[in-house]
Amino acid sequence: MFWLTWRQFRAQAIIAGSALAIAAIGLIISGISLRHSYNDLGLPACQAHHDCAQLATAFFAQLQSASSYGFVSHLSQGLLFIVPGLIGLFWGAPLLAREFETGTVRVAWNQSVTRRRWLAVKLGVAGLAAIVTAGVLSLLVTWWSGPIDRAASLQGQGADSSGLGAYRIEPSVFGVRDIVPVGYAIFALALGAVLGVLIRRAVPAMAATVVVFAAVQVVWPNWIRSHLISPVTVRSPVTGNLNELAVQMPSHEMTVMGSWSRANVWLLSNVTVTPSGKPFTGPATSACIGNSPQACTAWVLRQHLVQLVSYQPASRFWAFQWLETGIFVAIAVVLAAFCAWWLNRRRLA
Amino acid sequence: MIWLSWRQFRTQALVAACVLVVLAVVLLISGLSLAHLYATSGLPGCRSRNDCPVKLMDFTAQLGGAYRAVFELTLALTYVAPALMGAFWGAPLVAREFETGTFRLAWTQSVSRNRWLLVKTGLTGLAAILVAGLMSLMLSWWFSPVLKAAQFAPSRGSLSINRLDPLLFGVNGIAPVGYAAFAFALGLTAGVLIRRVIPAMAVTLAGFAFAELAWLNWVRPHLIAPVRTNSPLDASTIQGLTIGNGNLMTIIPGSKPNAWILSDQAVTSAGHPFSAPATHACLDGSMQACGASLGPLHIRQLLVYQPASRYWPLQSYETAIFLVVAIALGFLCLARISRRRLA
Repeated sequence: MFWLTWRQFRAQAIIAGSALAIAAIGLIISGISLRHSYNDLGLPACQAHHDCAQLATAFFAQLQSASSYGFVSHLSQGLLFIVPGLIGLFWGAPLLAREFETGTVRVAWNQSVTRRRWLAVKLGVAGLAAIVTAGVLSLLVTWWSGPIDRAASLQGQGADSSGLGAYRIEPSVFGVRDIVPVGYAIFALALGAVLGVLIRRAVPAMAATVVVFAAVQVVWPNWIRSHLISPVTVRSPVTGNLNELAVQMPSHEMTVMGSWSRANVWLLSNVTVTPSGKPFTGPATSACIGNSPQACTAWVLRQHLVQLVSYQPASRFWAFQWLETGIFVAIAVVLAAFCAWWLNRRRLA
Repeated sequence: MIWLSWRQFRTQALVAACVLVVLAVVLLISGLSLAHLYATSGLPGCRSRNDCPVKLMDFTAQLGGAYRAVFELTLALTYVAPALMGAFWGAPLVAREFETGTFRLAWTQSVSRNRWLLVKTGLTGLAAILVAGLMSLMLSWWFSPVLKAAQFAPSRGSLSINRLDPLLFGVNGIAPVGYAAFAFALGLTAGVLIRRVIPAMAVTLAGFAFAELAWLNWVRPHLIAPVRTNSPLDASTIQGLTIGNGNLMTIIPGSKPNAWILSDQAVTSAGHPFSAPATHACLDGSMQACGASLGPLHIRQLLVYQPASRYWPLQSYETAIFLVVAIALGFLCLARISRRRLA
């Protein structure tokens, strides 16, 4: 059974292995030189000299001028984003659908191996390969991005125009670090297998896998992840310096943003509300129209506005990683169990 | 023959049509509100140099949230659509006939093989081109207020974006049509040569991704020889200056608005990249003193760029090249198929 599964999976395994080897060589070469420029700037010892933010800014300026780092960063993260999808597409969906489509399932199920064992070995081998592929690639990307992630938390300004410098907890990089890609890969594989069993034709099952997996990858970080652990909410009165004060001209609508800012968090929302709890939008009074900015600021400060901020702190990075990986692995196990149940019920004819 | 092709293509066409309709509705709703935002931002009528940047900042500040999400999703979809159409429409078109053996039936009818292939590829290929063209058209319309606003951006502003930006260039104008034709033809060719559906799909995806990346990085910048300027740099045209380990000073020159910058370097008068020990004035003097101390160093700015006026020439060359490659691949398929034995 193992020998058969390996024979059927050989070509895919060789392709994945060669792709991983190429990625590893490129990332290691580029990563070593990235570490050199990080160390040469003196960033590892910056805490002692109290110039972390300044050195981190210089580091990002160097990355910007050497275009290859931006290219490697986008390419490797883009690859890690799509690898689970590709695993579901090319390993998961045809795994069982092809057997149905070509009718080989009749031969397979009439051997001395039970259906359950047949499924367990097929899913097990492919699942193990998926874990290894996504895990190794994620390890490489996480290692490569190490200096950039550290510099981002030291600089505390968030992502720049080229997308470098986002905090690890922010959605643009969270899904391509450490262990979550492994969870996505197993989930995608199980999803492909289930759709293959239900649709029983390889190409439509592949299409369905792509669509469902892409939808999950869009919906999950935007609407679900932030609720896994309830966010930190801060209410602070708007006093002193304002970060932003704007008046829209014909409508007299106002935008006011207090000085609350905190580095190294995943900011979920930041609104200024009136004492009664409604979002503050003005209208601007004569103090703010045709008057000095000081007069306008003074008027705004008299309105007893409150700034409502909700965010996820960076300290929850690992909690989110384990939780999210656990959820995706659990869904994958449920999907695999469904496959087994569905196959057991099916007649051969 | 057209009826048969349509029957075989029906499901795919229906799926594509549904995606297009959903996309059109989302883009229409979001696009109308974006156009309204631009019209009421005060930017269209603004004339004075002091007024426009403030209004632009207000406008830019409101571009986050839903607009950003719609933009990123549509952008990603427009980039992957040609690859998906190549893999799911192009690759199985002939490969499935080989794999299931139905080519023996198809090729022994009264319709010649050439005609069979031409009708099948013509119908599906045109559909792929149509889908890509419509997506590009819708995204271009949606994005036009942002491009109009970007004309008011100062050279170092937050919204210094233009249609030549590598990210936007591939989803605007007619380029997506070329990609779709190429991806489809690539899938078709992979199917004809490999004769198995799933491997052909994998090769199509990998081949298209590689072609796009290689094109973006190595070919497009040189389609038309870029403009090179070499001009003196002084304090007023420098954007930034960093002093690193060992007090080595590097200079970030100011950029050029409304152009696709390929390289922007501070060089010495001999043409080498500039890097020198920091001057005293820059280590602990004022900004002005630091700027003045740079004068005697004779630093020059070496700028390589494609001006915005080359947008349409670059678009037409790129589309023409992809279309020609697609047609060549199509002929290769015709030649392979007409020479193949039935057995």
